[in-house]
Amino acid sequence: MLEIKNISASYGFLQVLWDVSLKVERGEFVALLGPNGAGKTTTLKTIAGLLQPIGGDVLLEGKSIIDLPAHLINKQKISYISEKLNLFTAMTIEENLILGGYTIKDNDKKKESLAFVYELFPRLEERKKQLAGTLSGGERKMLAIGRGIMSSPEVMLVDEPSLGLAPNLTVDVFDALKTLVTRGVTILLVEQNVYTTLKITDRAYVLEHGKIVSEGVSADLLTQPHIKQAYLGI
Amino acid sequence: MKNQSTFSKIISWMSSAAGLTIVISVVVAIIATIDSGPFTLINAIVTGGMWALMSAGLSLLFGVMNLVNFAHGEFFMIGTLVAYFTFTPLHNIAKGNPGGVLMIVAPIIAILAATVVGLVFGAVMEKLVFLQLRKRSKEQWVMNTFLLTVGLSVIIINGTQLIWGTDFKGITRYWDVEPLHLWGINISVDRVAVFFIAVITMAIFWFFLRRTNLGRAVRAVSMDETGALMVGINLNRIQVLTVMLSSALAAMAGASLLFMFPSYPTVGLKPLYIAWYVVIIAGLGNVSGAIVGGFIVALLQTLTSFYIGVGWEDVIPTAIIMLILLIKPSGLFGSEVKGIHEQ
Repeated sequence: MLEIKNISASYGFLQVLWDVSLKVERGEFVALLGPNGAGKTTTLKTIAGLLQPIGGDVLLEGKSIIDLPAHLINKQKISYISEKLNLFTAMTIEENLILGGYTIKDNDKKKESLAFVYELFPRLEERKKQLAGTLSGGERKMLAIGRGIMSSPEVMLVDEPSLGLAPNLTVDVFDALKTLVTRGVTILLVEQNVYTTLKITDRAYVLEHGKIVSEGVSADLLTQPHIKQAYLGI
Repeated sequence: MKNQSTFSKIISWMSSAAGLTIVISVVVAIIATIDSGPFTLINAIVTGGMWALMSAGLSLLFGVMNLVNFAHGEFFMIGTLVAYFTFTPLHNIAKGNPGGVLMIVAPIIAILAATVVGLVFGAVMEKLVFLQLRKRSKEQWVMNTFLLTVGLSVIIINGTQLIWGTDFKGITRYWDVEPLHLWGINISVDRVAVFFIAVITMAIFWFFLRRTNLGRAVRAVSMDETGALMVGINLNRIQVLTVMLSSALAAMAGASLLFMFPSYPTVGLKPLYIAWYVVIIAGLGNVSGAIVGGFIVALLQTLTSFYIGVGWEDVIPTAIIMLILLIKPSGLFGSEVKGIHEQ
């Protein structure tokens, strides 16, 4: 469904990604793991069109989307949930969600998505009139994911949802992602929380220093010596 | 229980900077009205409405694009110019048929024409100037827009002077009718009409920003550009729209105030400074704050000129702004947009 081919990217003179290739099939839950500064966020930003790579291609269903400007990526049914969340802090939860469905012109469909988001995160419905800037860390994550769902995406790129969250909230967020996958959404998840991520995902790629160093079925990766040593500490 | 919490909410709002300012302004306005009659208050409300239009546009421009616009006064000037050249011929035709519909409609046509020219002018400015700068360099953006717009202001002022000369192009009044008698004083119909134009425009503007999809997108861009891109908002479109709206609001203010400010090349400078006073005290980028601030600055001005003297009209508001900035650098109403510092 989504294929990244030999992407190289840099910030100024600092090259971050070297020939990164990965593939996500429809309905799959795939993780992109790696330490800080490995280039995980850069990979997602490149797919989301927020960063122009110096080489390589991004294919969606076989069609190149690399030259599309960032605001048209959302229309391709790809939804990016960034690490910084990029919420509209001076707007209410509901306004944030409505804007999440900005590209959806059909009002009934928008209402349906809104109802689904509220069903997934009842907390958001309780506080729908509250300003996004006044929410707790966990609620912000929920709102960001909810806003991403509002455009009824087929692919979601989720960047470090567990960052800064208490363990029980992390479980909630991962459960929500799992629900989305069972509903047919394809998810590419970037995480540092290696153990939990490998437990819930189908497949995973490991990115180190801007290069893919290993890939495979998540359950297999859990037993791989390198992963065990470097990330799990066992 | 619920009433109590609303009550305590009101109390806490009143003791905040925004609440205090509004309460003090209302009290001062009431005292001044009792002391000197309703005339000062009406003056303040009429000019305040127009300052609010000017400042709301300026504030929106800063909020959405981080654009420090010092050519905003020229949008105002273009409004006065268009209104003058539309109104005068229409008025001459209308004079041939006193009591005709044109007599009543001509001012409205003039103000609408100015607004439309403002929209077009805004689009041209964005495409020709701001977009070009944005494409080339985003470094030092705030400083560059300041320099660029100051330059534009000089060019437009001198261009106008070259084409249309330096004479005052003014009108005595828009509507040739008897003034209204209210509370024992005479108020010209123009002033009443201008007030309603300001209120209606601001209501539409507010509705647009809060309740429509496009308006929400404008606010979204002002809060988080990346977030806006992520939900699929076309930044370029929103930016064109913002400059157009801002320019149209200023042109409309200029056209509406033609009977107070005759058109000449530098007529926009004073409204520009006032709009900046307002935006600074209200908080950069805060549009609703700018609307309230417009009325507060107008009140300050009318009171100063009434009690102390016209010469002090700009001195007192400026002094107060300096005080406010010393105490509360983010402005009275704070800001709901990303600041310069975060850029």
